Amino acid sequence: MIVELLLYFLMVFFIVGVVAPFFTSKNKIVNYVAHGMAALGCLAAILCAIIIFNSGKIELITPWVMFAEPVYIRLDYLAAYFLLIIGVAGCAASVYAIGYSKEYLEDGCRYRVMASLYNAFLLSMILVVSVSHVAAFVIVWEIMALTSFLLVNYEHTKNEVSKAAFIYIVMTHVGTAFIITAFFLLASKAGSLDFFHLIQTAGSLDTWTQNAVFLCALIGFGAKAGIIPLHIWLPRAHPAAPSHVSALMSGVMIKTAIYGLCRFYLEFLGTGPVWWGAVILILAIVSSVLGVLYALMEQDVKRLLAYSSVENIGIILLGMGAGLVFSAKGQGGLAALAWVAALYHVLNHAIFKSLLFMGAGAVLQSTHTKNIEQLGGLIRKMPYTAVWFLAGAAAISALPPLNGFVSEWMTFQALFYLPQSMTGALGKVFSAFLLALLGLTGALAAACFIKAFGIVFLAKPRSVQAEQAREANKPMLVSMAALSGLCLLLGLWPEPVIQMLKQVLSGIAGVDPAQVFAGTSWQAAEVHAGVANGSLQMPMVAVLLLLGVIVAGILYRLYGREQLRQGETWTCGIVPTSRMEYTATGFSKPIRLAFKAILRPQHETVADLTPNRYFGRRLSYHMSIVDIFSAIYRPINTGIIHAAQFMKAIQAGSVQLYIGYITAITVIALILSTGW
Amino acid sequence: MVSNMEQMTTILISLGYAFALVLAAPLVSGIIKVSKARLQNRRGPSLFQVYYDLFKLLQKDSVVSPTTSWIFTCAPYIYFAGAFGAAALLTSGDLFALLYLLVAGRFFLALASLDAGSSFGGMGGSRELYISVLVEPVLLVTLLTVAARAGSTKLAAMSAAAASTPFSLPYIFAAVAFLIILVAETGRIPVDNPDTHLELTMIHEAMVLEYSGRRLGLIFLAAASKQLVFILLFTVLFLPWQSGGLSPVMVFFWLVVKVVLTAVALAVLETSTNKMRLFKVPGFMGLAGMLALLALVAQ
Repeated sequence: MIVELLLYFLMVFFIVGVVAPFFTSKNKIVNYVAHGMAALGCLAAILCAIIIFNSGKIELITPWVMFAEPVYIRLDYLAAYFLLIIGVAGCAASVYAIGYSKEYLEDGCRYRVMASLYNAFLLSMILVVSVSHVAAFVIVWEIMALTSFLLVNYEHTKNEVSKAAFIYIVMTHVGTAFIITAFFLLASKAGSLDFFHLIQTAGSLDTWTQNAVFLCALIGFGAKAGIIPLHIWLPRAHPAAPSHVSALMSGVMIKTAIYGLCRFYLEFLGTGPVWWGAVILILAIVSSVLGVLYALMEQDVKRLLAYSSVENIGIILLGMGAGLVFSAKGQGGLAALAWVAALYHVLNHAIFKSLLFMGAGAVLQSTHTKNIEQLGGLIRKMPYTAVWFLAGAAAISALPPLNGFVSEWMTFQALFYLPQSMTGALGKVFSAFLLALLGLTGALAAACFIKAFGIVFLAKPRSVQAEQAREANKPMLVSMAALSGLCLLLGLWPEPVIQMLKQVLSGIAGVDPAQVFAGTSWQAAEVHAGVANGSLQMPMVAVLLLLGVIVAGILYRLYGREQLRQGETWTCGIVPTSRMEYTATGFSKPIRLAFKAILRPQHETVADLTPNRYFGRRLSYHMSIVDIFSAIYRPINTGIIHAAQFMKAIQAGSVQLYIGYITAITVIALILSTGW
Repeated sequence: MVSNMEQMTTILISLGYAFALVLAAPLVSGIIKVSKARLQNRRGPSLFQVYYDLFKLLQKDSVVSPTTSWIFTCAPYIYFAGAFGAAALLTSGDLFALLYLLVAGRFFLALASLDAGSSFGGMGGSRELYISVLVEPVLLVTLLTVAARAGSTKLAAMSAAAASTPFSLPYIFAAVAFLIILVAETGRIPVDNPDTHLELTMIHEAMVLEYSGRRLGLIFLAAASKQLVFILLFTVLFLPWQSGGLSPVMVFFWLVVKVVLTAVALAVLETSTNKMRLFKVPGFMGLAGMLALLALVAQ
C-alpha cells in the first residue's frame, strides 16, 4: 500500500520533472525544479526498495492494460535491489546536476530539453527494472536508449560527440533486436507476455530454445552492458555526455543490462549447462583485463573511466558466470556466493563510478579539459574534490577497508571454489587463470587510478587552465561526499547488503543463499558451503589499519616534534617546472611495453631541425592506441555500405518509381488476400 | 558474547604477533646485509645497524618540497599501516585481505612518488607498479597451490595444509616460484637493487627519493616488515618441516632457523646474479608463473 503510494509519488515527481522545464524560460528555476524533482523521485525509489526489503512483501501494481493483458509493475526483491541502486546513484547525480548545470544555463531552450530528458531517462530506468511485461519492458528499454542517446548528443555541434552518439544508437539497437528475439522465443512458448508466465515455463523449454535464448540475451544485454567485443560505443558515448549523465550511464544504465541478464539467467531459463557459465567467464575475463588495460593507456579522464566500466562489468560477469557454473552442477551454496559477489559489485560500482565521473566532471567544469596531461596540482585548488575522487579511486582499486574490496574478495572466493564444479586438471587450470587474471586486473586498476589521481591532482599544474582551477560548488561536493561515505560504509559493514541479496536470491532454482551465508555475526562476510570456508572481517581490517597508523604516529613522535624545512624538489640545479614532471603517457609506458602485443601502440617522434641544427631541436611525439576490437567492425561496416549501394539502385528517389512500387505491392496484396 | 570475547583475544594475539614482527623485521634486514657483505669479502655493518639507522632517522627533521600535498604527508603512515595490518593477519586472517592491505600501502606510496613533481619519483612509481602488475597474478597462482589443498584462503588453514604434506613435488615447484616472487616483492636483485642510488636503476628507492627524516624511517621500517611478512609466508607455506607435534618453544626455534636460512639464501641469490633489464622481468615472472601452474597441475 505504502509502496504503491510512493510509486505514484515517484511517477508524479518525474513527470513534473519532464514537463515543468517547458513552462518557464528561466533556466535557473528549471535547474532547481527539474533536478529537485529528480532527486525527490529517486528518494522515493530508495524508500520503496527499503520498505520492500523490510516488509518482505512483493508488491504488485496494475496501472494499465495493454494488448488485452494487464501490465504489472512487480516489485520483487531483484527489482527492489536495482531500484535501490538507481535511487542512490540517481539521487546523488541529481543533486550534483544542480551544481553542475551552472555551465549549461546559458544554453537557452536546449538546456530545458536536457533537464526534461534527464528526468525521462531516470524514470525510464526505474521502469525498466520494475515492469513485468515483455512489451512494456521493450518500450521503456527503448525510451531509455533514446533519451540517453539525446543526452549523449547534447553537444551535437562537436563532430566526435555526434559520431559517438550515432555509434551508440546503432549498437544499442542491435542489442535491442537480440533482446526482442530472446523475449519472443520465450513468450511464444509461454503464450503470454507477462514475466510471471515466462518464469513458469522455465522448466519446459527444449534445449535448443534454451540455448538460443541464452545467446540472444547475452548478446542483447551484453551490447548494453559493454561486454568486449560489443563495448565499442561505451568509451565513446559515456565521455561525450554531460558529466552528471555520464555518471548515470556508467554507474546505472549499464547495470540495467545486468538486471536483464539476472532476470533471464536466474528466472526465465532455470539452470542450464556448464558451458553457459564458461562462456560468460571467458567473456568476463577478457572484458576485465582488456578494459582496464585500455583504461590505463587513456589520456582522457572520462574515457579512462568509461573503459574502467568495461572492466567492472567484466568483474560482475565473473561472479555471474561462476554462479551459472555452480548452479549447473547443483552447488546451490557456492552459486549463491558467486551471485552475491556479482550483485554486490553492481551496487559498489554504481556508487564509486558515479562518484568518479562526478569528480571528473568537477575537474572538467573548472579547467575545461579532459586531457590529464594538461592537468596537475588540483589538490591545492580543489581540495575537497580531490579527497572524494581519491576515495572513489581507492574504492575502485579494491583497497580495504572500502566497498570495492568486499565484492572483489567475494569474487575471488567464488573463483577459488570453481574447481569444485569444474573438476579435473582443466578446471583447476581454468580457475587458476581466472584468479591470476583477476589479480592482474586488480593490479592494473590500481596502477590506472594511481595514474588518474596522481597526474590530475598532484605535483605542479601543467597548464594555465589547471593553475586557474577553482573548487566545485556546494551541491556537487555534497553529493560526492555522500557517495564517498557510502563507499566506506558498505566496506565496513557489508552485512545489510548481504542480507538483502539473500532475500533477492531466495527462492531461485539452483541457488541457495541460506547455505552459504549462515554466519550470524553482524560485521563479517562469512562463507560456509560444503567445504568452502572463508571469512572476511572488514571492521577488524579497518581497526588493524587504524592501529597501524597510530603505531606509526607514535614512532613519528618518539623523539618529540619534528621541524619541517621547506626545500624545493631537487632537479639538478634547475628551477623545477611542471615540464619536468612525469607525464601520464610516461607513467604507463612500462606497462604499455609489457603488453605491446595486445595494445599495439603506434608512435612517431618528429624532430623539427629548423630552429637550430645542433641544439634546441623541437621534438613532437605522437602516440595512439587503437582498440583492437574496433577492427572487427570494419568488415561489417563495409558490408553495410555495399548493401546500401545495392539498395540505391532501386531507391532512385523518383516519385513515380515509388508510386509504381506502391501500386505493385497493393496489387500483389489484393491478389493474395483473395486467396487466389 | 562468547564469540566477541574470542574475537577480542584473536585480535590481541594478532596484534602481539604484529608488534613482534615489526620489531624483528630490521634484524632480518640486518642479517641479509651482513651475509651479503661477507659474501662480497667485506666485513659489513653490525647486525643491528638497521636499528641504529632507524633510530637516527626517527630523530631527524625532514626537508619537504613545497610542491607536495597531504598525500605526501600521509603516505608513510598508510604504507606502514598496510604492512602492520598484513603482519597482524598472518596468523588468523585471510590471504586476499593480507595481500590487499599491502596493495593499499603501495597505492599511497606510489601516489606520493608523483607528489613532489620530480621525474625520479614518477619513474620509481611507474616502475614499481609495472613490477606489481607482473607479480600479482603469479603470486596468486603460487599461493593457490597451497590454498587449493586447504580448501580455503584462510591463512591458518593454509599453513595446516602445508604442514600435512611437506616437500611433495608440487610444493617444491611452488616454492621456487614463490622465491622468485619474494625477490621481486622485496625489491632485490635481479628485479630491483636495494643498495643502488643510481637514478636509472632504482625502483623502490626512486619512489621514496623525496622522503627524509622520520617519514623515511617509517617507510624503511614498513618495507622491512613487508619483507618479513613475505619471508614468513614462504617459510610457513613452503618450508613446513618440523611443525607437527612440537612444543611451542621448538616451533618458534625452527621458525627462526628457517627465517634466517631464507634471509641468507636471499643474500646468496642477490650476490650471485646481476640486475636484470627492466623489460626482461616479464620473462622472469613468466618462468615463476609456469612453475606455479605446473605445481597446480601436479597436485
